[in-house]
Amino acid sequence: MSEKPKIAVYTCYCGGNISHTVKCEQVAKLLAEQPDVVVSRTNMSLCSDAGQSQIEEDIRELGVNRVVIGACAPSLHEQTFRKTVIRAGLNPYLYHHIGLREQDSWVHTCDADGATCKAVRLMAAGVAKARLLDPLEPIQLEAEKRALVIGGGVAGLRAALDIADQGLKVVLVEKTPFLGGRMAQLDTVFPTGEEAHILLADLIDKVVNHDKITIFTQTEVTKVSGYVGNYGIQLTQHSRGVSAENAKALQDACQQMVADEFNYGLTERKVIYQPYHGCYPPLPAVDWEHYNGEPININGKSEILKDEIQQFELSAGAVVVATGFDPYVPREGEYGYSELPQVVTLPQLIRHMALNPGAKSLEWQGHKVRDIVLIHCVGSREIEGIDEPQEDGQVNNYCSRVCCTATLHMIEELRENFPKLNIYDLYQDIRTYGRGHEDYYINALDNGTRFVRYHGEEKPKVFAAPKGDTHPVLVHVTDALTYNQELEIPVDLVVLATGMQPRQIDDLVKMLKVSRGNDRFLLEVHPKLRPVETAVNGVILAGTAQGPMNIQESISAASAAAAKVISLLGSGQVELQPFVAAVDPEKCNGTGACVEACEYEDAIALETFVEDGKEVTRAVVTPANCTGCGACVAVCPNRAIDVQGWTLAQYEAMVDAIAMDIVDLVEAG
Amino acid sequence: MTATRVDPELLSELKEYGDGQVETCFNCGNCTAICPFTSAEYPFPRNMIRLVQIGGAEKLKQSIDPWLCYYCGDCSQTCPRGAEPGEVMMSLRRWLTAQYDFTGLAKKFYTSKVWEIGAMVVVGVLVVVIALLLSGPVVTDQVELNTFAPVEIVHVADWIMAGMLVFFIAINVFRMWKYIMVDGMDRKVPFSLYITEAWQIVLHLFTQKRWAQCEEDKEKKNWNWIAHLLMVSGYGLMLVIIIFFLKWFQTDEIYPVWHPQRWLGYYATIVLIFGAGRSIIGRIKKNVQMHRFSHASDWIFPVLLLLVALTGIMMHTTRYLGLPLVTYYTYIIHLAFVAPMLILEVPFGKWAHLYYRPLAIYFEQVRAKAKAMPVAETQLASAD
Ligand SMILES: Cc1cc2nc3c(=O)[nH]c(=O)nc-3n(C[C@H](O)[C@H](O)[C@H](O)COP(=O)(O)OP(=O)(O)OC[C@H]3O[C@@H](n4cnc5c(N)ncnc54)[C@H](O)[C@@H]3O)c2cc1C
Ligand code: SF4
Ligand code: SF4
Ligand code: SF4
Repeated sequence: MSEKPKIAVYTCYCGGNISHTVKCEQVAKLLAEQPDVVVSRTNMSLCSDAGQSQIEEDIRELGVNRVVIGACAPSLHEQTFRKTVIRAGLNPYLYHHIGLREQDSWVHTCDADGATCKAVRLMAAGVAKARLLDPLEPIQLEAEKRALVIGGGVAGLRAALDIADQGLKVVLVEKTPFLGGRMAQLDTVFPTGEEAHILLADLIDKVVNHDKITIFTQTEVTKVSGYVGNYGIQLTQHSRGVSAENAKALQDACQQMVADEFNYGLTERKVIYQPYHGCYPPLPAVDWEHYNGEPININGKSEILKDEIQQFELSAGAVVVATGFDPYVPREGEYGYSELPQVVTLPQLIRHMALNPGAKSLEWQGHKVRDIVLIHCVGSREIEGIDEPQEDGQVNNYCSRVCCTATLHMIEELRENFPKLNIYDLYQDIRTYGRGHEDYYINALDNGTRFVRYHGEEKPKVFAAPKGDTHPVLVHVTDALTYNQELEIPVDLVVLATGMQPRQIDDLVKMLKVSRGNDRFLLEVHPKLRPVETAVNGVILAGTAQGPMNIQESISAASAAAAKVISLLGSGQVELQPFVAAVDPEKCNGTGACVEACEYEDAIALETFVEDGKEVTRAVVTPANCTGCGACVAVCPNRAIDVQGWTLAQYEAMVDAIAMDIVDLVEAG
Repeated sequence: MTATRVDPELLSELKEYGDGQVETCFNCGNCTAICPFTSAEYPFPRNMIRLVQIGGAEKLKQSIDPWLCYYCGDCSQTCPRGAEPGEVMMSLRRWLTAQYDFTGLAKKFYTSKVWEIGAMVVVGVLVVVIALLLSGPVVTDQVELNTFAPVEIVHVADWIMAGMLVFFIAINVFRMWKYIMVDGMDRKVPFSLYITEAWQIVLHLFTQKRWAQCEEDKEKKNWNWIAHLLMVSGYGLMLVIIIFFLKWFQTDEIYPVWHPQRWLGYYATIVLIFGAGRSIIGRIKKNVQMHRFSHASDWIFPVLLLLVALTGIMMHTTRYLGLPLVTYYTYIIHLAFVAPMLILEVPFGKWAHLYYRPLAIYFEQVRAKAKAMPVAETQLASAD
């Protein structure tokens, strides 16, 4: 450090948020008396234009070369002031920010004097640190202009297309043999009533024909290394098992039947299959998970199908996770599910309707349905202590958001097709929040649907009717609209509007080091300010992998994710904060304690060089993989490694300042 | 508590009794919030609409609420869904009348115009035939109505008719009482309460005072209430004259104008014409809430009243003009309107609300008193 520090200190009122508790003027006065402080000011709101101009002016006029600001949390305005400092021609890392509001005034509202003392200590520590700050430069990295999109549902497809349209390469990876995800299993979709297949086919067509997009089906990500701009990805792909030439013959000859998950187990299919007519890719595939390995006879020749697993390596600058959702599957006996044949889920009914177009009456297992009940919030909005927890011990306390409108949309379909059907809708709240969604509710009312409102604490009960009853199933529900009277609804079919759950992607979560919320869906950095990024740089979320969304929202999220990827990789360079470990070559003698202590892959390694004809071994940091956690700093016996911007020396100075007797502070002036 | 089994058919059944749009109601409760007659105990009309939605026929039968509604229409104006709650309450009164009636005729009349008009015609024709069969000599040089239709015979016929009325009404009222006061109560009501509260019937029958609480009506200086009260007095008077004072009323002697026989008759006639006319014009113009929807029974009742009054006037005039034959025939026609009105409308038709409503208010009071009593006392009372 050559030049003498000239420190400017600012204590912000935060429009009263800080100054109502902390005596800012006193703090500023005391700080002004600290060594090297050339100016100490207060301000009503430093982030305002006037406040920022003041800082710039002080840097220019007074030759200030260190800035210390006590204001709101750094997460809010640290970046703002870094830019201010840059504008005045100073290195942005010669500025230190203290969260006086969150750390002090807001938590000590009843103790003004204590809060003021604390402010002085925190700010003095900031000054002590500032004195030792060095100019730093952000880390610039070459970025691979290719994105990996995981998941070929509507969100993944849209994200891939948007990224590719900006000229970046995209690798789209889908676990199953076919594209489209859950949307392919829908019939017509709210709020437009369009056919899901047609919408999807259009999107798939564009993706498939895009020369920047490479698609891998039956493929999973099996290894992830590297960092933003340069992820190393390993893909593992199963073989399709059939070729264009033998597909038809093999499919015809195949005898092994399994439950068809595309129809949620309502039907069976062969192990060589295509989920629906017109799916993409058009070639059938072998369901390796269920194939029993027995030979299949074609043309007098028996053939045993073999899964030839292939692995690929590729690099990608960013990863979009669009792995989607699974519909909640009720527990055995939950609302009679899997105990009574007349209890189905809404996704099952959607498939049932799609499989029987133009049916004159609604039939279930050969019986005509005269009365039908649809129950909302199954597997959603569960209450702790009332509902049985899921496997992870938590209840699904979130709202799945699409099931209300999906249920009412189904009611409209039912009414249109079967005008005589008696329809009962058992709900907690009608959450038809989107544009045009409320119309489904209004229509359902107008068309004679009977709504019954239950409370989450008192769930409806579904049981088999006693012999001789007019209907096979009885539903008992305490109806809030009828003064909490218990109603008995005799029905032929019970439909459970099951909510959304995240897919089983534990491996992927581990590999990508992304975190999940309490609801097990993938977590964004900030729900409002950074809604599609994860805490891992370069890993972006799209669609229902992040939480319940309808198609429109999934698409919006996918486009937002694509925009993030494009802005990240578009320049071919990525910039990272410089707060990473740096080795002092003078002091390092290659003990390697740091390498052992480091939790992160490829962040630090021992390397051997020849220097002045001598072989030396030293630790070398790969800044892009280093998170700046400091585990290495703690173990180095030689104090040869430090985290830039947060060095040990800086910490020591800060601790000294904080521990200083407050009287000393006053006397020091 | 046993569960109430829903009945999806009730809603369509009720459609035959009126024009409410029960299915569109989303149970917001605005109607109950605005209703001037509703109370914590009887939070209508939403509670009634809800019962219709789920098909709670039993609970509906036990309800007093529909009778506590005067169809001011405030609720229908307030309802955000156009469910017409006021009209639903009207339909429920018709439906209840049909439930109380043990003969099933009320149901037939309310749900089929053909039945209602047909029955009127049959009774009317029957009356004409009987009248012609029993009629005395036709005196043509002067009007001698009492020779043609001896008042003694007519009076006897009146009494027979009154007997039938009492018979039907008594049974129907008994059924009403049983639904409301026995099936609809969780405790027994001590008999003494029925006695001490009996004045309520008289009060409400003669004052119709609840009507005056209606907001829409208050704005019009309670004009609807006054009109309704006048009308009640008109047909009440007519009923009393016919049944108890016919001999005094139907005379061939012509009294001076100041004689009560004349002005009482005039009063009843004017009031009836005014009331029935107002109702018919209202139903054509649909300018007040309660007149926007008209069920067949709503037309038949005032039209019949009007015809009774008009034929009465005509008879009166021809007699004064000294036209014997016209007088006799008009008289028979007059009877042919009066008889069906009394025999059919009073026990089975719209007139029934004349006694069901005050009775319901009476039951409400008895219920309230019974509920306010300590449980032990009501049980004691029932043990006696
Ligand atoms: C009953 C019901 C009815 C609905 N009706 C409507 C409607 O009418 N209108 C509407 O707008 N929305 C509706 N929705 C919502 C709609 O289904 C979703 O918004 C949409 O399907 C979400 O798409 P996605 O791409 O996020 O997820 P998905 O469709 O689940 O796609 C995820 C894809 O990722 C693949 N995948 C998963 N894990 C991996 C992995 N590890 N590696 C590689 N690939 C993987 C999956 O195989 C799948 O293809 C409904 C939802 C339900 C439950
Ligand atoms: S969207 Fe509706 S049905 Fe689904 S969880 Fe939320 S409230 Fe329940
Ligand atoms: S019509 Fe008037 S009295 Fe009857 S329920 Fe509606 S608001 Fe109440
Ligand atoms: S105001 Fe209308 S929608 Fe609301 S509860 Fe009354 S009838 Fe139903």
